[in-house]
Amino acid sequence: MAPNKRMIFQADVNRIYDEEYQRDEQAKKEKLFIRPSRRRKMKNAKWFGVGMGIDLPFCIILLVLLTIGTIMMFSASYAFSYYTQGDSYYFLIRQIVFIAVGLAAMIVMSFFNYNKLHKIAPIVLGIAYFSLLLVLVLPAGEGGVKRWIPLGMFNIQPSEIAKFGVILFFSHWASKYYNKMQLAKYSILPGLIVFGTIALLLFLEPHYSGIVIIGLLTVLMLYIGGMKTKYLLIGGALLVGLVLVLAVTGGLSYAMSRMAGWGQALEYTTDEMWWDTYQTRNSLYAIGSGGLWGLGLGQSRQKYLYIPEPQNDFIFAVVVEELGLIGAAIILLIFALLIWRGITLSLRAKDKFGKLLGIGLTSQIGIQVVLNILVITDWLPNTGISLPFFSYGGSSLIMLLAQMGIVLSISRTANIERT
Amino acid sequence: MEDNEKNANRRKKRAEKGPNQRLRQRTAVLIIAILVLGFGAALVRLSFLTLVQGSSLQEAAVSQMLRDTKINAKRGTIYDAKGKVLAESASAWQVVLAPINFETDQQREAAASGLSEILGVDYQNVLEKTKQKSYYVVVKRKIEVDQRDRVMELTEKLSKDYDCDGVIQLLDDYKRYYPKDELASCVIGFTGADEQGLEGVEFKYDDYLAGTPGRIVTAGDARGTNMPFQYEQNIESEDGNNIYLTIDETIQSICEKYMAQGIIDNNVKNRAVCIAMDVNSGAILAMVTANGYNLNDPYTLPADVQQEINELPEKERDKAEGEALSAMWRNKAVADTYMPGSVFKMCTASMALEEGKIDDNTTFTCGGSFVVDDKTINCHALGGHGTQNFTQAICNSCNPAFIQIGQLVGMNKFRDYYRGFGFADKSGIDLPGEADDNFWPEGTMSLVDLAVASFGQNFSITPISMITACAAVANGGYVLQPYVVSKITDAKGNVVKNVEKKVKRQVVSKETSDRMNEILGYNTETAGATAGYVAGYKVAGKTGTSEKIGVEEPVSGFGKDYIASFCGYAPADDPQIAMLVFFDTPDGGAYYGSQVSSPVFINIMTEVLPYLEIKTDYKEEDLAFIDVSAGDYTGLSLEEAKKAVEEDGFSVSVKGSGDTVLAQLPAVSSKLAPGGSIVLYTDEESRSEKVTVPNFLENTAAYVNSMAAGYDLNISFNGAVSTGGVAVAQDIPEGTEVSPGTVVTVTFAASTDSGFND
Repeated sequence: MAPNKRMIFQADVNRIYDEEYQRDEQAKKEKLFIRPSRRRKMKNAKWFGVGMGIDLPFCIILLVLLTIGTIMMFSASYAFSYYTQGDSYYFLIRQIVFIAVGLAAMIVMSFFNYNKLHKIAPIVLGIAYFSLLLVLVLPAGEGGVKRWIPLGMFNIQPSEIAKFGVILFFSHWASKYYNKMQLAKYSILPGLIVFGTIALLLFLEPHYSGIVIIGLLTVLMLYIGGMKTKYLLIGGALLVGLVLVLAVTGGLSYAMSRMAGWGQALEYTTDEMWWDTYQTRNSLYAIGSGGLWGLGLGQSRQKYLYIPEPQNDFIFAVVVEELGLIGAAIILLIFALLIWRGITLSLRAKDKFGKLLGIGLTSQIGIQVVLNILVITDWLPNTGISLPFFSYGGSSLIMLLAQMGIVLSISRTANIERT
Repeated sequence: MEDNEKNANRRKKRAEKGPNQRLRQRTAVLIIAILVLGFGAALVRLSFLTLVQGSSLQEAAVSQMLRDTKINAKRGTIYDAKGKVLAESASAWQVVLAPINFETDQQREAAASGLSEILGVDYQNVLEKTKQKSYYVVVKRKIEVDQRDRVMELTEKLSKDYDCDGVIQLLDDYKRYYPKDELASCVIGFTGADEQGLEGVEFKYDDYLAGTPGRIVTAGDARGTNMPFQYEQNIESEDGNNIYLTIDETIQSICEKYMAQGIIDNNVKNRAVCIAMDVNSGAILAMVTANGYNLNDPYTLPADVQQEINELPEKERDKAEGEALSAMWRNKAVADTYMPGSVFKMCTASMALEEGKIDDNTTFTCGGSFVVDDKTINCHALGGHGTQNFTQAICNSCNPAFIQIGQLVGMNKFRDYYRGFGFADKSGIDLPGEADDNFWPEGTMSLVDLAVASFGQNFSITPISMITACAAVANGGYVLQPYVVSKITDAKGNVVKNVEKKVKRQVVSKETSDRMNEILGYNTETAGATAGYVAGYKVAGKTGTSEKIGVEEPVSGFGKDYIASFCGYAPADDPQIAMLVFFDTPDGGAYYGSQVSSPVFINIMTEVLPYLEIKTDYKEEDLAFIDVSAGDYTGLSLEEAKKAVEEDGFSVSVKGSGDTVLAQLPAVSSKLAPGGSIVLYTDEESRSEKVTVPNFLENTAAYVNSMAAGYDLNISFNGAVSTGGVAVAQDIPEGTEVSPGTVVTVTFAASTDSGFND
């Protein structure tokens, strides 16, 4: 008996938005691709379910990265930890706790029916706005910036929620209005509204790297969501034009000098610049010291208080110093594999929403890796972008692993070959 | 992909595939953007930094970790010839700040006030240093143990009270000590703040003494403490080499003692020089520039000079002080020249003998003056010396005779020998700042010049070259290279360099040298104290008194400034040690070399020759003053005792009425002068008898001897007792009640008296 169209709509309200899914559904029905028992399960889609099993390669790559990252975090942090906390294991122990919590969150999320997120996407975005507003009214943290909401044992960074909120919202939006995404009204307009408001709130914190990442994620989501390439090119042209105008008028070099001595870490001329570029310069020293083969695991010298907080944003400089260019390249390769696997498995997801969400979440890692490395190598201003799975930090790691859990959840529906 | 496509079929097909296809394409673009462009850029940037800039970045990283913790090498020790320490470096510390580790102004102020109090440095100055962004700022160097301990306490206090760590470091340092203070100051020299040699041997042998500073290349963390793991490249410091001087501390101190006395006695205005040289090797046994300065405090001028400078207007003071200091440090024996005067006659005589121009029978006539080229040159004896043979001419130090000798030698030969004796070149002594001589350039010398040159006037040479020439006259004609460093060893004692005797040339023959020794020995023997006669030794020598030419404002009271000198050696028949003594501008009672310098020479030699164990050869009249031992006469009968005493060459004085000698004075084996009286006690009562010791001072030895006989006392003669010596000290003071026969030790010294022969 052919299933009633209306019944499908009621059973799985998400998929009515997805014409593509409906077509595939039709085809698969004819091919009897999905067994009746599976169909039933989908009809009564629950909040949690096992589905077809997670994508093992993705999961393994993820755990490998997490292991390497934790080892390097320990190596980078133990001297700093010893000097500042009187205990070399201070950061390691906490990070392991965060990992445990994060992995638990990941496992839970991998069983979570991501389709349920379709409904709550606007709510998540709402929570992101709320936290962004909340952090502004809370007392300022270290250095007068308002980036953290203190929550007892660890702090929550609203921008982390905002990143997830933006990816989730535009996955929802683009899959809902997929046919209308060609129109500026459905792509450019919500993009500008969401990005603009979040950027404003982040500007007030201030958290410039957050703005950059949110901006890139917005563009990315709109692009894969079906926005006209024309708009992307126009936007890119405007950006290049702005940079050119600044360069010609001399505004760029002024901006660069204002941005904490960006690009001038080795050519400091004043004491102020010496201090401003201290972290970046020592990062460059560390990277240069690594050479091709590195000084060996645990042999970094720059981590001995030269690089401030070596367990955070600048951890990769210590990684390069210890493991060399070879080690850095291998780690980048593993990241690339993760991203590749994450994107390809997302493409095989059964629905538009899953595809967009999986691609968005995975790409976010790639963007952060690239930006982080460009920051520590002084190609971008030092603005505080952490390296996924490596940098120390509770809320971001747990958020990250939970998001990876979502990708794994998507992989349960993905039609990819498994052994 | 929004491009117009003409093929309708295609469009249709695309429409069918539609969104899925578009998403795949866009995802491909995304993957390219992130994985190819993004990761590619990151990898390119990392490759550039590690492979291209790697070495320079690593260098910068290493250099910021290795904050040049230089480990100073221990500077070598300077020993005298007998291995006594003259200069050595002892451990000290330097206080270094790492102001970058300060966090608050409170910490800075606490550290600055603590350091300024402990080290006695300016508070504001230290405070400025605490504000620098540096890891290495020296606050004070060369602090000693007690200050170091207080700095360590301060460090603890800062850590405890202000939570301020790693700001003060104590690094090893060394401080130079000169245990003998002024001794041989002109030879040893001193070092500057960085232990670099500034004067004398310290300067000349700086490369040997300095050693190689090491670097502890521990990588420090950003707070300057050592990293907790092994990243160390330890370049050890290599301690400096030790230097053994030819200077003998004993001889040097004897010389300095008498030179200082000579300066006082003769009110010498422009310092004095004494050089003692081993005639056969050229080794300098002593070199004195009197008065010296305290090597431990080389920047302090003598009080009177400082006083004069303080009276100057303020802006001239610094300059005057600098000049006074460099004058004080100047080694007059090497860096200054003087006119040798009659001392030079030993050279003129040698060259005439060597050339065969004169022999023992050659006679010279002196009528009190001599005319050369219409210019009359006076002899010091206005009445003239009459007709003299060669030996007499030297003994008389007759200028007209030497003018004739000079003329016999001839101008060219004279110049050749001048060069041959080594006056024209630097002596090559291993001390800094040796001066050039000042002689007439070739072709400009007139007959008058030759005439005055033959008795050592109107040209100037360094004292060191004069003593070198004197040694050549004495040792068989060999011109030696003088040296003050005999041996250099490394810190472990292995010999790095051994200085050998270096003969430059033989300027006169052995025969000439022997003849000169005879003549100069005869000179001393006949002229006595005025020519440096030292009792018990055959000494050869020549006095010299030179007028300082070209002095516009004489400072002495004689109307002209003089240099009084004496150059001699001993023993005359087998020369071992030569010595030059000269006083520049004496302003006391006399200015002749025979009056001013001879006594000093005699006093020094009287102590130095026995020290060198030169064999004695007493003349009969001297034997009266050589101590002999008293025998044992107790227990003998009075008659036997008297006989024994007289046999031993003493006179007898009997106290008491017994028949047997119960006691004697001086006691058995006491040293007393021959012919002294032995007091024999034959009963106990007479032993309470006392005599009063008179004042022996200022009397000659012979007179003291006769005085002693009158008081029933015995004398032990000490020092320069021969002609010209007067008593300068007695060990039992005047007025003391002593038993008859007690031995009073009286010390004699040659003194300025009415001798001249110049």
